[in-house]
Amino acid sequence: MTFSPGKRRALAAMAEALLADEDDAGALVPPAAATVDRVVASVDDWIGSTSATLPFGFSVLILVVELALPLFVVGRLSRMSRLPLAERIAYLERLEGMNIGLIATTLVALKLPLLMVAYEEGDELALTGFDRPTISARRSLPVLPRGGA
Amino acid sequence: MSATGEILQRPAASGGGILHGRDLSSFDESCDVVVVGSGAGGAVVAAHLAEAGLSVIVLEEGPHYTAEEIRAFRPTEAMRKTWREGGLLAAVGIGNTPIIGVAVGRNVGGSSVHTGGVCFRVPSYVHAEWVKHHDLPDLSEKNFEAAYEDVERRVNVTEVPADMRSRSTRKFVEGAAKLGIPMHAIRRNTSDCEGNGVCNFGCPKGAKLSVDLSYLPSALAHGTRLVSDALVSRVLFDGDRAVGVEGFLTAPPPYVGKPKVPFRVRARAVVAACGTLHTPLLLENSGVASPHLGRHITLHPGLRVGAMFDEPVHGWDGALQSVFTEHFHDQGITLVGVYTAVNLLAASLPGVGPSHRALVRKMPYLGIHGGMIHDEGGGAVRRAPAGREPLLTYEMIPRDLARLRHALTLLGEIAFAAGAREVFLPIFGIPPVRDPRVLRDLETGSIDARRIECVAFHPLGSARMANEPRRGVTATNGEVFGTRGLYVADGSVLPTSIGVNSQVPIMTMATRIAWQLRERLLH
Repeated sequence: MTFSPGKRRALAAMAEALLADEDDAGALVPPAAATVDRVVASVDDWIGSTSATLPFGFSVLILVVELALPLFVVGRLSRMSRLPLAERIAYLERLEGMNIGLIATTLVALKLPLLMVAYEEGDELALTGFDRPTISARRSLPVLPRGGA
Repeated sequence: MSATGEILQRPAASGGGILHGRDLSSFDESCDVVVVGSGAGGAVVAAHLAEAGLSVIVLEEGPHYTAEEIRAFRPTEAMRKTWREGGLLAAVGIGNTPIIGVAVGRNVGGSSVHTGGVCFRVPSYVHAEWVKHHDLPDLSEKNFEAAYEDVERRVNVTEVPADMRSRSTRKFVEGAAKLGIPMHAIRRNTSDCEGNGVCNFGCPKGAKLSVDLSYLPSALAHGTRLVSDALVSRVLFDGDRAVGVEGFLTAPPPYVGKPKVPFRVRARAVVAACGTLHTPLLLENSGVASPHLGRHITLHPGLRVGAMFDEPVHGWDGALQSVFTEHFHDQGITLVGVYTAVNLLAASLPGVGPSHRALVRKMPYLGIHGGMIHDEGGGAVRRAPAGREPLLTYEMIPRDLARLRHALTLLGEIAFAAGAREVFLPIFGIPPVRDPRVLRDLETGSIDARRIECVAFHPLGSARMANEPRRGVTATNGEVFGTRGLYVADGSVLPTSIGVNSQVPIMTMATRIAWQLRERLLH
């Protein structure tokens, strides 16, 4: 494992917020636990395949989003991962919209790998409307009718 | 170390003359030319020299995967296994500069395996600049013609047919036409491309003729031995003459705690082709000193704009890149029709939770258009305080930031002209734009540059060619000033930004360097 259990919990909380949806009545629906587990495990493995610098950098980013910014961005003296789902979503959205580029980048740097892994397969890939079974599958080319020019 | 000659005589376990370094024990070899790196520079040099009858060993830091293996990778798997730093490398912006993601390969075939296949020659005005302003008459367009022709024949450079354009790209062309902006077909190094639209992560068809499928097979057929997982740490010298390299074989990640297995290769000539980020570190580690080493790096910062249409455009069905315009080249801007893997696009959409999911559901309606700028060399690479990867910094000059912001406006205007309802700008926290007039306001407004999402695929210039040592690192034949027998043949030798995709220019430069080196070694 690349990240400590605490950082993995923070990543899981972030993935849960990023992938949460609404039902027909507008109520928040968290993603399946298996999806969150897959995303966190894959990102942990991914970052772990790089040199020593990146895991350190990502650890700092996770800690900043988890511990430091909730107070300054949404006025809550709480870990990000302990915020209720709706508040967590609002917090992360506020982060992304910050006028200070470095703070927005802190969120985006974590959001990108989490969501790239998430939308790479399964129901998440299907949600994009992509009409092949996997991203590495070949395209179904239009076939001319027999005798067609 | 093992006896000299074992590697060159040993049957390659992986077939085709490629040896997995992780399967080897320590070795000590000799050959005519040792090439460090197997990408668009190193593979080309190896092929030409091996075809001339010289004995060549190529040492590649990254792993080797067959084309069949690569084409089955998921995008993040390809990034993890074959991109430097898992594809998560970024240039640290200095001052009012975006943080720029930098995509570089680390595998047999190098970054050529990860390109969109786009093939441009160095524009005529850039050749002219090299001749007139850098006093490099050897680098005239006329002097490059034979090498261009050789490269384009070997990698099958052909125009992308119009029927290979995605509907997203057709919208881009329609919008541009309404604004009087001509679009042209891009040329690419493919054979029977079927438009799977994920070139950067490995072509599912194997249609892209990257160097692992074009130059390296010829090099290997002519006796070259290629060792993957072989990290060269320094060039060996006898006085000022390069006489070989040494390094160690790398284990699969995670690297921590793995023993280092040393190797040494002695040679009559050493060619560094580790790419713009690592060639300077190798030279510096080998005692080469120059105030220009690791500096003047250009990136061609690029960006993507999303355009939401009322009807599906299925941007994933078609060639990744198929059209471009040089209409704005006097402003330093090139616009292109682009796409990429859907998971990457989904991840880059704005929002969190339900707001993001709602946009993901609309992805069949999302067209993507892109652009890049012809930039000044504001990048520098230096050894990082920890770890093996270098620290890349980049300071964007105000002119280039203005170009980047103007490119966003142009792309947005084209999208609206094409009928887009909403335009998604790559600026963190900016809601979708529904009124074209907002684009100009955003361009002139005060937005922190670090909110602009940028990517770069063409780092160039960290060991640039010059007519004398006080102006650069290498002579126009690629030889490092102040040394004999040490050459550089990769993107780092390009004297300036070129404003277009760099694989053909790098291959062409490498071809010329190989031709001159061949003459020197054979006569």
